[in-house]
Amino acid sequence: MEFGVLIGIFISVALVNNLVLSGFLGICPFLGVSRKVDMAFGMGCAVTFVITVSGVVTWLIVHAVLTPVGAAMGDPGALYFLKYVAFIMVIASMVQLVEMYLKKFFPPLYEAFGVFLPLITTNCAILGACLYIDMKPETQSLLNAAVYAFGGGIGFMMAITIMAGIREHISFSDVPKPLRGAGITLLVASILALAFMGFTGMGK
Amino acid sequence: MADDNGSNLAQFKAGLLSDNPVLVQLLGMCPALAVTNSLENALVMGGAATFVVVMSNLITSVLRNLIKPHVRILIFTLTIATFVTLADLFLKAYMFEVSKKLGAFIPLIIVNCMIICRAEVVAIKSGVARSLADAFGIGIGFTLALSIMGCVRELLGSGSLLNIPLFSKEFVDVHAWVIMVLPPGAFLTLGAIIGVVNHLRDRKSGGGA
Repeated sequence: MEFGVLIGIFISVALVNNLVLSGFLGICPFLGVSRKVDMAFGMGCAVTFVITVSGVVTWLIVHAVLTPVGAAMGDPGALYFLKYVAFIMVIASMVQLVEMYLKKFFPPLYEAFGVFLPLITTNCAILGACLYIDMKPETQSLLNAAVYAFGGGIGFMMAITIMAGIREHISFSDVPKPLRGAGITLLVASILALAFMGFTGMGK
Repeated sequence: MADDNGSNLAQFKAGLLSDNPVLVQLLGMCPALAVTNSLENALVMGGAATFVVVMSNLITSVLRNLIKPHVRILIFTLTIATFVTLADLFLKAYMFEVSKKLGAFIPLIIVNCMIICRAEVVAIKSGVARSLADAFGIGIGFTLALSIMGCVRELLGSGSLLNIPLFSKEFVDVHAWVIMVLPPGAFLTLGAIIGVVNHLRDRKSGGGA
């Protein structure tokens, strides 16, 4: 039964409420790094990894630091104004940590991610997922939060990889000049978003 | 600083049109897509982002000689996060309905690349007056772009402007393009507007050459 809830959360965030195509998060890398499928896939993997780790750590910050300390001061919500500052610091340092860890223990993977790792700090999909985890009632347990974050990352990876596949084909076609680059990408994203709307009603 | 009014004015104007953050530089796209399903949301979002970019440019410019280069990104982010928290609390206190609709996109101003970009490109190396002029230009340019999108999407999608219905209810029920207020409409509108802007720029530079 608990397992069913987890699958529900995963499908909901990866398909129905896809972070990119219906939540408008992570649009910059979605437009910027979607020219080649392998690059897009690498970016997707890096984001999935960081989003999962940051989702868990920010959940811990809220439930294991801010709330108890606030409660000790008399009001559990007393320190919630620190949330945004805490979240962005966690994400920035997580990215830095992941970068150092990969560089030391998995050099080939580090080479493969290359410039994408530092870029992830300003990827709003990460902060967005952390904020949604904090806001939504169904992600109040650590496991649910982790599944939500992981699903969000997979959804991002799917969207950016599909987009890259389409763009590889578009590069051979004759696009009107003013629409080249961002214009046609956004129009394609519109049709993709339309396709993902077909998932509405699945899960929750 | 040898800033004179002329160059400050030019900096202000550049942010409005020729360097418009959303339509030309393609920065800050996430809120431009997410909150423009009505003109009201677009204006509030524009106002909040303008406040944050003005304050962050002001602080960065005042502290520019104290900030060490290797920690500057961290300082920018923390400055921005602080003012975003202020804006968020203000909206929650005085404009609760709109703040609920904007949801996570107010805190997400923190990672709006437009604001870090202005701190990095202008405020860290210019005087206060120039940084402020730049911030107002960029902020109002951002609001302008969001308002254009908000107008188009609200008009086509729900047949109203600023929640004031412009057509009869029967007409809207039959003819409104509901898709325009849903996610696909956002991508479509922004793609089309960027296409139009590129076309106009091409024609202008072609005519000038």
